[in-house]
Parts: sequence; C-alpha cells; structure tokens
Amino acid sequence: MKLIQGTAGALVVVAMLPLCAHAQTANHTVRVSVSVITALQVSSGAVNLNITGADAIAGQDLMTAVDQSTSLLWGVNSSIKKVTIQTSLAAPAFTLKAEAVNPTQGTSTGEITLSSIPQDFLLNIGRSSGSCGLRYRGEALASQGVGTDAHSISFTVANQ
Amino acid sequence: MLRSAKTNSLKESNAVRFALGLILAAFPLMSAQGQAPNVNIQGGNVTLTVSTGLAGSEPLAVVNSATSLRYRRLGYIQKVTVQTSCPGQNFNLVVAASSATSGIPAPQVVLMDGMPAVDFITSIATGGGFATATLDYVASSTFAQGNSSELGDDVHTVTYTITAQ
Repeated sequence: MKLIQGTAGALVVVAMLPLCAHAQTANHTVRVSVSVITALQVSSGAVNLNITGADAIAGQDLMTAVDQSTSLLWGVNSSIKKVTIQTSLAAPAFTLKAEAVNPTQGTSTGEITLSSIPQDFLLNIGRSSGSCGLRYRGEALASQGVGTDAHSISFTVANQ
Repeated sequence: MLRSAKTNSLKESNAVRFALGLILAAFPLMSAQGQAPNVNIQGGNVTLTVSTGLAGSEPLAVVNSATSLRYRRLGYIQKVTVQTSCPGQNFNLVVAASSATSGIPAPQVVLMDGMPAVDFITSIATGGGFATATLDYVASSTFAQGNSSELGDDVHTVTYTITAQ
C-alpha cells in the first residue's frame, strides 16, 4: 500500500512538472534607425509654352500661354521644410511664371516670376508625402519680338 | 520489535522510492538547466536602417533575417511568446518566425512598447534536442513619423519566452 502511495506521489510530481516548469527567456536589442529622407520628383517631362498671339487683342501688348500638365511630388521626413523654385536661365527674353496648385500639404506662395535665384514655392510641407499641380505661364510683349527661352527648372527642399 | 523494525524498513524503502521518483521526474529540467538554456538567440543584436523613400509615397521598409531563435524541446508541449520594451517608440517594427523546425509560427507580430506577451511559436512538439526558427524583422516608417536625427533611434529590447502550452 505504501509502495503504491510512494509511486503515486512520484506520478503526481511528474504530472505537475509542466506546471512547475520555469519559463525561460532570451532577449536581444533591435535598433531601428530612420535616415533623413528627402525625395522630390516632377511627374512628367518637358513643358512647351507656345505664345502664338492667337489670343492677342488689338491694342493690348501682353500675350500669354498657360500649361498645367505636370505636377510635383515629394516625400520629406524632416520638420519645418519648404520647396523653392529657380530657373537656369539668368536673362530670359520672355517672362515665365509658376505656381503650385492645390498642394496636399503646405501652402502655395502663389504665382511667382522665375529667376535664377531660388524663391519660395511651397511653405510648411513639414514631415509629409504630398503633391501639387504645376501651373506655368509664359508672357511676351509684342515689343519683345520672337524667340525661344529654354529653362531648366529646379525644385529644392530647404530649411524654412 | 521485529515487526516494528520491518515497518520502519518498509517506510524507509518507500521514502527512497519517492525520492527517486522525484529525482527522475525532475531530471529533464535539472539537466536542461545544467546545460544550455531552453531558449536563446543566435546572431546577436540587430540594427535596421530605413534610408530611402519615394516621392509621393512612403519610405521603403527594411528586412533583417540575420538572427534566429533556438529552443529546446521537452517532455511536454511548449510555446514561445514575444514582447518588447521600447520607451518613446516612434517607428514601426514587426517580427515573424520562418523556417521553424518545430512548432507553428504565428503571423507577423507588431512590436509595440509595453505590449503584452504575444504567442510567437505554438505547439512545439515533445521530444529531445533543439529546434530553430529564423527571426524576420521588418522596420518601416512614414514620412510623417520623422527621422532619427530629430527623434533618436528606436531601441527595442525584444524578449522571447518559452513556456508550457
């Protein structure tokens, strides 16, 4: 009888082992680092503005052409950022203006006349992924005659 | 007198049997603890760096599968849980087990500071020896979540626990 009790005691211990078994742990360090990322892209290629004078009104000097076929996309993970715009052409024969239209983030500075000096184009884009339309307006005066300006437009993310 | 001596002898014999039973039953645990731990991580610490992104989209996620989990199979069904501690967490981190040689890996587990332990590998079969599983970490962030230069890195202490299921 006692032998049975002894064996039963041992069996009870065996049965309880999984419950008594101590959990064991292991750990390590996983570091996640995120670099400063700035991505900027124009949606499509070249823009041609042909000022034909078709809309010219007798007695008025100014003729214009408008294009809004392209857009600007960006991704910025730094705070307090803006986008500037400039042209490669230091002395264009005609006037070229640009405007950021319907930005998904930030504030457009409105229509500005392009020069080779960077000018604010979009403010307060902050940490965001967004886009805006690009509206270009070419202007010519009858007195400026005929010709072609080839601009290379640069957009830059800068500290605000 | 003789009967009393016999009774004592029987009691001692039973006590010895009981003690032997205890020792034998506990041997697998004692043996396991005397040798290697029941769970360990091979490959050391991990660093993931998110460094590229697409305009109009989001930064690209980064994967690291350089570490693995090694866990001992015992005489009962076990499971492994995972949890993390990362005060001031800013970015995203998930982990999944792949190529597990024993047990059933859970789908990707999102690692968030202060999370409770979550089942990671369950139904680890009984038996001897060790099983292994690759640890697949995936780090990601959005542009809106910022960067480490301004916010600092996320440093997770990821803990794996093996226990009876």
